[in-house]
Amino acid sequence: MAIRECALKNQHFARLYDVYLHRDDAALAYKKAGGKVLAKLGSDVPDELVLAAGMMPVQVYADPDKELVYTNKILEFAFDPVVRKQFEKMIDGTYREVADFLAVSNSTDEFIRVFLYLREMIRSMPEMPVPPTTFIDMLFTRNRMHQERNEFIFGLFRKQLEEWSGKPVTDEAIKVAAAICNADRAALRRIGELRHGDEVRVSGTEALVIIGSGFFMDKKEHTDLVEKLAEEAAEWPVITGKRVFVTGSAHEDLLVYDMIEKAGGVVVAEDHDWGDRSYDRDYNTEYPPIRAIVDRYMLRGYSGKKAFVSQRVEALNEEVAAAKADAVLFYTNIYEDSASWDYPSQKKSLDEQGIKNALFAKMLYPATANEDLQARIAEFIEG
Amino acid sequence: MEEKKKEMPQRQVTVKKLKATAEASAYQKQWFQGLKARVEAGEDFGYLNADVPMEVLKAMDIPFVVNQWWAAICGAKQMTRKYYGLLRDAGYRDDLCSYCATAFAESLDPDDHAYDAEGKPLGPWGGLPDPTIAITRLTCDCQGKIFELFAKNHGADFYAMENTQARTFPLDWWAHAADDWENLYDKDRLDTAVEELKELIRFLEMKTGKMFDINKLQKVMDNINRQEVWYGKIRDLIADTKPAPVTVVDTINAVMPAQWQRGSEWAADHAERLYYEIKELADKGEAAVPNEKYRLMWLGRGLWHDFPFYQNFEKKYGAVFVWSMYLAMGADAYVRNNVEEDPLRALAARYIGMEDFLHMPPWNAQWFLQQARRNDIDGVVYMIPENCMQTVEGSFFIKKTLEDAGIPVLAFNADPVDARKWNRDTMTGMVEDFIENRVMKKEK
Repeated sequence: MAIRECALKNQHFARLYDVYLHRDDAALAYKKAGGKVLAKLGSDVPDELVLAAGMMPVQVYADPDKELVYTNKILEFAFDPVVRKQFEKMIDGTYREVADFLAVSNSTDEFIRVFLYLREMIRSMPEMPVPPTTFIDMLFTRNRMHQERNEFIFGLFRKQLEEWSGKPVTDEAIKVAAAICNADRAALRRIGELRHGDEVRVSGTEALVIIGSGFFMDKKEHTDLVEKLAEEAAEWPVITGKRVFVTGSAHEDLLVYDMIEKAGGVVVAEDHDWGDRSYDRDYNTEYPPIRAIVDRYMLRGYSGKKAFVSQRVEALNEEVAAAKADAVLFYTNIYEDSASWDYPSQKKSLDEQGIKNALFAKMLYPATANEDLQARIAEFIEG
Repeated sequence: MEEKKKEMPQRQVTVKKLKATAEASAYQKQWFQGLKARVEAGEDFGYLNADVPMEVLKAMDIPFVVNQWWAAICGAKQMTRKYYGLLRDAGYRDDLCSYCATAFAESLDPDDHAYDAEGKPLGPWGGLPDPTIAITRLTCDCQGKIFELFAKNHGADFYAMENTQARTFPLDWWAHAADDWENLYDKDRLDTAVEELKELIRFLEMKTGKMFDINKLQKVMDNINRQEVWYGKIRDLIADTKPAPVTVVDTINAVMPAQWQRGSEWAADHAERLYYEIKELADKGEAAVPNEKYRLMWLGRGLWHDFPFYQNFEKKYGAVFVWSMYLAMGADAYVRNNVEEDPLRALAARYIGMEDFLHMPPWNAQWFLQQARRNDIDGVVYMIPENCMQTVEGSFFIKKTLEDAGIPVLAFNADPVDARKWNRDTMTGMVEDFIENRVMKKEK
């Protein structure tokens, strides 16, 4: 089992797992108590600002069982299947119920289109229950001009939050919120150490639960649970097996990690937004608030969507080395194509280092829709 | 609209191949040979994506080739099957980003500059010379990656320009683009685009040793205005003349080579000659398709690998493709008056709009509707590439906008340069069915 008995019996993990499985419960309760909830599409909507505005941030996620009643009419098939499932929830009223507002960051070109489509629906199809939506148009290429532009862009988001919340988002509130976020990231790094070290105490599947639950609950509670869990998980049995690094599509569910770990591997690290990448750089408290936000979101680990090939090759090499991975599994959903341009160069570099790797491209969603996937993964792990 | 049309006697069949088309074809071949000679002599050579502000390189007299134009040449030369095979052999997927990846695939071809036993070149037009500069805008997630790989294969410097999104979007952008461009965009967006241009200029100056001169840019911008105004006149002439004197087969082939030469005296003069040639046809009453009954609009990129497809429906149905973006885009989106006040800002106001106007709802949908009405369009045939996020442009909204206005739309998936999935018989049948069951039955 990828989630072991020791984890399931741990009360802190059990709470996180419950949140992970019932992702909307905390947001609905927060709303019911009079709070405002902001749903985030993309990995570059800063929690620091949302919390400073007194709102609860929750991540938009796909429901694999959701029938695409509207999406199949509106979205072209070039959109990947996870985004399609997310889109349905944004237009069928789900996120009107779970959240008050929606913020979309341009973390991928797909989300830019999603925002434009939502904006157009709000304009020309007012009968559709799309939540009030805003867009964070940050730039990812790293130079001074874009850093400056991003300060302006995050400043706009701050103003939007002020308008929605009806109160100023002060520098002081941002600093307080940033401290909360930094503490959460620090706690998650302690879990990371239990994966990346010589002795692996936390499986990849368990890590996805620990990290992902934080997208759907009160941040302070999450931090508290993760800190306590880190103490106790340090005593969990050591996991042996081939150390696997996962790159490519984000894994919103446990299916692929479960297959890897059932096959005898252990996922020690990953570079996607539902894993290690979500906590990899702190808000620098020495910088002015908005500049610190830009620093955190612009300069963290290279995204598979927005970075150039050479940057992705270098980043993967460094992250694989840091995690002491024996093998790298490239996994990309069908129509989620940009990483395909990185892959041959990354593979070449890994081959030169003697690091085993395998490609699972154009994968159906959910992962269980792929015939023989468990067997193919087992073949890779055992081979 | 109908009463505005000039009712023309249906007489002889017009010559499909305009003199201006042949001239453009000859010019671009001659120009390309000249470019190769300059590169061989050691000059820097730029390879640019279509939405890069090429006017800067034109003003600096840096030779360049545009990616989409070159992909179209490769497609027309039937090179793409070979190229996608090379991609596959190198470990890349061969079913992605075909329009943008064609030149990268070509860079994997060891025979690109070689000749066969009879002395014929194996690469298209003797192959692409090695660029020293590769520039793209980051208008999708793949573009920067592909251009970086392309640059590496050629030993060129890679340069990327960012792309921003509009917060304000006047629905009738075409009414503001020429004279009120300052107010067409969010001010901060335009400011950023100007800064991007300044950085690009500095990069090019350092790379090539040539100085950018704002006066030369102004001349380039003036020439472009002259060229695009002629395209506007041509577009309006076709809209107002029934039957149309030319079809998209004539106009695309005449306009596209010149559009990539925009800023030159030749391109502006060519546009003027093209107008007078078409006007002469219209004045004489020479129709492209004398039995014109239905006017069709082609949405999407050109079908470079099967141009005769456009003409399949003329004889049988009198259905004529009279509109494509290639003429109309230049006419409505490129003119920027009052350039002399700030040529760089005027250029910024041109290049950031290209993505907005063509690929972003509601700007594209509203323009297509306005153009469909202006051209008395009976039906729209809309090609949507499957493997390109850049052309994911709100096809639902485009279709809905047109159909809500009573204009039937046939939307289908196909690729502009990759012929492997194209079945002409199937596609012809689909368009015929559309004409018979949607266009012909429509209440005129």
